[in-house]
Amino acid sequence: MLFSSITFLYYFLPLVLLIYFVVPFKAKNLVLLISSFIFYGWGEPVYVVYMALSILVQYILGLLIEKYSGRGLAKLFIVLSVGFSLGLLGYFKYTDFFIANFNAATGMSIPLLKIVLPVGISFYTFQILSYTVDVYRKRISAQRNLIDLATYIVLFPQLIAGPIVRYIDIYKQLKVRSHSVEMVYEGLVRFVMGLAKKVLIANSLVELGDIFVKSTDKSVLFYWMYALAFALQIYFDFSGYSDMAIGLGKIFGFTFLENFNYPFISKSITEFWRRWHMSLGSWFRDYLYIPLGGNRVRTSRWLFNIFVVWMLTGFWHGADWNFIIWGLFFAVLLILEKLFLSKLLEKLPSFISHIYLLIIVIISFVIFDASSMNLAFERIGAMFGASDSPLWNSNSLYYLRSYALVFIVAIIGATPMIKNLVEKAKKKEGWSKAINILSPIVTIILLVAVTAYLIDSSFNPFLYFRF
Amino acid sequence: MDTKNKLDLENNKKKETRKTSGKTKRSFKDFMLGIKSKISLSLVVIFWLSITLVAWTRPADSISEHERRPLEQLPALEVKEILSGQYMKDFEEYAKDQFPSRFGFRSIKSLLRYYVFLQSDNNDIFIHDKYASKLEFPMSESSINLAGKKFSEIYEKYLKDTNTKNYLSIIPDKNFYLAKPNGYPSMDYDLLFELIKRETGFAQFIDIRDTLKLEDFYKTDTHWKQEALLPTVKKILKEMNMLDYFAFDYEKKMAEIDFYGVYYGQSALPLKPEKIYYLTNIHTQDSQVFNLENNSYTSVYDMDRLQGNDPYDIFLSGASALLVVENPHATSDKELVIFRDSFGSSISPLFLEGYSKVTLVDIRYIASDLIGRFIDFENQDVLFLYSALILNRSATFK
Repeated sequence: MLFSSITFLYYFLPLVLLIYFVVPFKAKNLVLLISSFIFYGWGEPVYVVYMALSILVQYILGLLIEKYSGRGLAKLFIVLSVGFSLGLLGYFKYTDFFIANFNAATGMSIPLLKIVLPVGISFYTFQILSYTVDVYRKRISAQRNLIDLATYIVLFPQLIAGPIVRYIDIYKQLKVRSHSVEMVYEGLVRFVMGLAKKVLIANSLVELGDIFVKSTDKSVLFYWMYALAFALQIYFDFSGYSDMAIGLGKIFGFTFLENFNYPFISKSITEFWRRWHMSLGSWFRDYLYIPLGGNRVRTSRWLFNIFVVWMLTGFWHGADWNFIIWGLFFAVLLILEKLFLSKLLEKLPSFISHIYLLIIVIISFVIFDASSMNLAFERIGAMFGASDSPLWNSNSLYYLRSYALVFIVAIIGATPMIKNLVEKAKKKEGWSKAINILSPIVTIILLVAVTAYLIDSSFNPFLYFRF
Repeated sequence: MDTKNKLDLENNKKKETRKTSGKTKRSFKDFMLGIKSKISLSLVVIFWLSITLVAWTRPADSISEHERRPLEQLPALEVKEILSGQYMKDFEEYAKDQFPSRFGFRSIKSLLRYYVFLQSDNNDIFIHDKYASKLEFPMSESSINLAGKKFSEIYEKYLKDTNTKNYLSIIPDKNFYLAKPNGYPSMDYDLLFELIKRETGFAQFIDIRDTLKLEDFYKTDTHWKQEALLPTVKKILKEMNMLDYFAFDYEKKMAEIDFYGVYYGQSALPLKPEKIYYLTNIHTQDSQVFNLENNSYTSVYDMDRLQGNDPYDIFLSGASALLVVENPHATSDKELVIFRDSFGSSISPLFLEGYSKVTLVDIRYIASDLIGRFIDFENQDVLFLYSALILNRSATFK
């Protein structure tokens, strides 16, 4: 089920909230568990069985890892846990990629399996791993209550597109959490804001991308418009989803960590990745980069670690070469920044660092979006004039006019400008009162606008579901 | 108690008082914050729940008059449908279609697009000078070529080695007069004509672009107005050497309904209704229309259709695969075959005067291989008359 669907907004969510707040506390997790299975099964009925099986296996393995902690068997069970999780992820997500590449390398023609990818598998696989690995590391105790563990894994607010919530950050809230009117209201506002980011901004930019792809009359201007639109679209799509997840979590009494912190205001790639998809970055850091030795090793090994982490970060996003290249592209830039570029950027005026960051990120997302590297190179080349396309034409000017305000709203929304203004205003008594009055009105207006867009729209899933 | 201790005690009392009052102040602040949150939450929840309740309880509509289509109904709960995920997709369609005040919400979306985000179009519909139109862009060259090849196939199969005289004319869409001059993307008509001519050398091409202007199209609909078509008819007839058979003596009548064209529903904007006019004379009144699909006779202007989903169906009862119109008062015994689309429905009655029999074929609804079963091609004038809109989507040709 999609958050941005009428089914979720006006059928599923109101019903779940009603039941959740009516039942006593000890039944709340069960309500969340059942509703999360319905939420997941609504889109992927067949994979509910696989999900339940995964939970049961990891529940048993978690207990066994703890029971044999410090002994060889614990190592065996953690290997089984990681192998089971990554094995399923590999089977569902990467089998056809490896078959296709094997065929290309050997000239064979093994048929592709065309396996349907379970929605959100990359997210919840990492969540499960954070649980069993941390039990193995003795950072947490194994969860004895199957319902609580299952609730953590399938909790619908963050099940299919993150943020990647680690068990260690949430296990106490599974047992004890408070609910308050303030939290519910704040969560609701955050949810509607995220919904508006997705439906009003990201989806509008998707339309422009579709128009660009279908256009037979492109220009250099149109290539840049597309590239900027895609970079903004993916930000509003994904950060909007994170906002919705965090907001829903808050309504149910959970506190999820932030996943985005205005990445486009960064002045280096290093800073960008501290602000973009933070839950993924920190997961790779804690469960891969540091275990590999991090930077406390000789330089060649350190470089190897960075390349491995970023190649896998790219591969996590999709089973195709463009995602791997996308990850390695960042690996190279991060290494350059660590070696010398950061120092150079610090000496330059900040707007130059900012432009450097934006150009790199925009280009990276062109690679990310392309269905092949040839297409990526073709588009990047065209952006810099290496094609027969004119600088601009009447069509690109038409769409620039038509989407100018969407771009402006998106660009402003990608900065903390509005947030800072609101924070400032809250400190002044008169303005603070106005904000208190306006807050529910704006929330209702946004809800109406989102509903209007959804009713008028066709099916439009979140981008990050395919990861 | 010495003086120092007295002072200390007083100071402590003062501090305690400050602490207590501070605590009271904070609690009051918290209390007020709680009240504000409760009011704000109540407002949002009441609004949300009200819509939810109406969505759950309102009876389902069967059709949308604005969108001219049947609305999705609550899907039946079947295990097979649930396991395949089809039930869920159908339910979302049902939830969208049956949402309370669906048209109102769609209007809000249109208004937001046009007047808040200042976007030029909504669902590809744009409004300019009170004319609504749909962006027809980009032009599909392969589709145009496919259409040309289809016409050529018909020629090879039925018309070659016969005495038919063959003509081809492309009806420019409203955008030719509206989009291009006003900076909206539109098809390249010169290229379109060149592509279609390349495949249809068997037919004499008649360019009718200069016989029309924007005002000859409905503001809220894709179609042209019948009452404005006489210059176009004259040009076609002139090219077909039939002008002498026509007096063009018509009475202009108005249909007693408000006409909301197809773009009214699609744009979801409060556009004003229009009037449909139709031209009558003895030829249109006394001609009989035989529909070979259902073996029934109707009149040229089907008044019952004015109450239907699309009042434009007044002209020859709307879409139909094969119609034969016979005119007992024709000024010649010649016959005309028109391969046409919905634009052809409104112009065809104006050809009746000079032809004893006009046959209308729409190859979107009948396979071209079957046409020979119903029509003997010999000595007729044959006119291929299709709108550019249809040529750009010629995959619908059978």
